[in-house]
Amino acid sequence: MKSGRKTPGKDEFRFRKGDGVAAGAVVLAAVALLVCLLTANGGGSAGRAKIYQQGELIREVSLAENAEFLIEGEYRNTVTVRDGKIAITGSDCPGEDCVHSGWIFRPGRSIVCLPNRVEIRLEGTAGADDVDAVVR
Amino acid sequence: MKTKDLTTMALMTALALALSWVERLIPLELLIPLPGVKLGLANTVTLFALYRLNLPAAALILTARCLLTALFSGSMTGLAFSLAGGFLSMAVMALARRSRHLSVYGVSVLGAAGHNCGQIFMAMGLMHSTAILGYLPYLLMIGTVCGLATGTVCAGVLRAVRG
Repeated sequence: MKSGRKTPGKDEFRFRKGDGVAAGAVVLAAVALLVCLLTANGGGSAGRAKIYQQGELIREVSLAENAEFLIEGEYRNTVTVRDGKIAITGSDCPGEDCVHSGWIFRPGRSIVCLPNRVEIRLEGTAGADDVDAVVR
Repeated sequence: MKTKDLTTMALMTALALALSWVERLIPLELLIPLPGVKLGLANTVTLFALYRLNLPAAALILTARCLLTALFSGSMTGLAFSLAGGFLSMAVMALARRSRHLSVYGVSVLGAAGHNCGQIFMAMGLMHSTAILGYLPYLLMIGTVCGLATGTVCAGVLRAVRG
């Protein structure tokens, strides 16, 4: 394994200008992608949610009516619809990232539970009364 | 394969496994509630292996780490994700390392971005959906910060452990 080794120079591990450029480029790419995705989705409030499991549409629900139901698969997700919003409020999957995603209501937004291969996607018409982009 | 090389790689695999366990003690996903958010401490081992050993050794360590993590957690979905993220990250870092303009920091940041992209692509493949792409911008931004952090860690280790 000697082939990959080289004697480190004085500044081999110092922060270089190129490192800053690389970091900046990644952040810029992220912002560009974010703006693209947000403008494609628009704002407003979604009317319906489509629920997919393993890429197949298994259920469609209206956000106008409060409801609570279970999606079964490898794991079990409890889905709750309340006041025009939808969330996975309980799950026995590892990590529970889907539960931590919280409530969604804007069209184009989605909640994903990877272990259960479930995706809740919001449909609906875009409104103009919304922010253009949120950069965190 | 020389015994010393084998021992070095085994040690580094164990180190990577220990680091990914330690990393779970840091509840980063409570701060940033996105799937797949993590510091990427185990990636410093791949980075270190690329600098101090070579690409085949780094690949072996990475493969062993992913297989053993899957064995411990029992999650085959997890294996697909860690392999996709790990190998894309390693490929990007191996390429970035050749650049004279980049040091460990830049290589680490690009590796983190490669990891994020690999995981999202794998997720898109598994879910048959492109909606998950919406997570990528956030993951990339957090990944840049984490990549700089792990790059700093790795630079410190590289300085301390002379080849």
